[in-house]
Amino acid sequence: MTLEDWLRSGFLRTHCSSRQEIVELFAISDRDLANCRTTGLDAEWRMAIAYNAALQAATAALAAEGYRPARGESHHWRVIQSLAHTVGADGDTVEQFDRFRKKRNLSAYERSGAVSDQEAEEMRSLAERLREAVGQWIQTAHPELAPGNAKA
Amino acid sequence: MHPDQRWYLRDIARRTGCALGNLRRELSGLAEAEIVTTTRDGNRRYYQANPACPLFPELAGLIRKTVGLAEVLRDALVPLGDRVAAAFIYGSQASQEAKAASDVDLLVVGTATFAEVASAVGPLQERLGREINPTVYPPGEFLRKAQEGHHFLRTVLKARKLFLIGGERDLRRLAEKRFPPDAL
Repeated sequence: MTLEDWLRSGFLRTHCSSRQEIVELFAISDRDLANCRTTGLDAEWRMAIAYNAALQAATAALAAEGYRPARGESHHWRVIQSLAHTVGADGDTVEQFDRFRKKRNLSAYERSGAVSDQEAEEMRSLAERLREAVGQWIQTAHPELAPGNAKA
Repeated sequence: MHPDQRWYLRDIARRTGCALGNLRRELSGLAEAEIVTTTRDGNRRYYQANPACPLFPELAGLIRKTVGLAEVLRDALVPLGDRVAAAFIYGSQASQEAKAASDVDLLVVGTATFAEVASAVGPLQERLGREINPTVYPPGEFLRKAQEGHHFLRTVLKARKLFLIGGERDLRRLAEKRFPPDAL
């Protein structure tokens, strides 16, 4: 499956990104990467914030490729899976990210508190890794959208 | 669960909590239907699952997905060795209120990471037809939160558990250790 296949199946829509959009998504990701270190916040929240940081980075990569998830589709799942097709994330990384998606859903709707500090840390380090990967990838794959590059 | 093993009547009685008489009757019925085979060794009679029985795959699946759940999960955690100090199932699967689609809630105390535990049990989800939701605490954090009376842990520690690794006593020891968490 490629992103093109997903588009044909109606999972994605085409999207025209801009440097401004990428700058904004990176800014949210960076803000959340900082906020998830807030001491005194419960592990559950820190994990959710780090998860959002990673999701925004993944969304930026997908936007740069010219797509966004279709409405009503399992939005988060799709964005996470797309990392394999954008930055070339390996299976383990995608799977780990997706497990945190499930954990976050559970903690939001069913089982509040079932998140350890260590798990919040694991999500943070995953988010940092992904944010870094998307930042580097965009420089080479879409230099015209990369924040900080002179306007093409 | 263990088709390669044969079991003596009293063994089965001990493991299942069934009365010997009832058990003997049930087993002879199963043997007649060729669902189990019997062998004699001296004056002992052994019973063993019969993998050649056409119903075997379905029966094994039924057991795996219901009463055998804990055994399947334990086998998946064993390779993590002493990096799992204690592990148990809590929630509906432990309190026997599980519905068809109920998830399996798993709590692990040990030095293994969430990623490791999730990878170990992840592949079972399809076989069991259930989602497995692990929560992993390093011993230091478990001790601290147990002593602080962290709401989630307090609730889980009081509720019914189905132990996979270790037992109630190990868990209590992990939650009450007197020396500082750094020493763990």
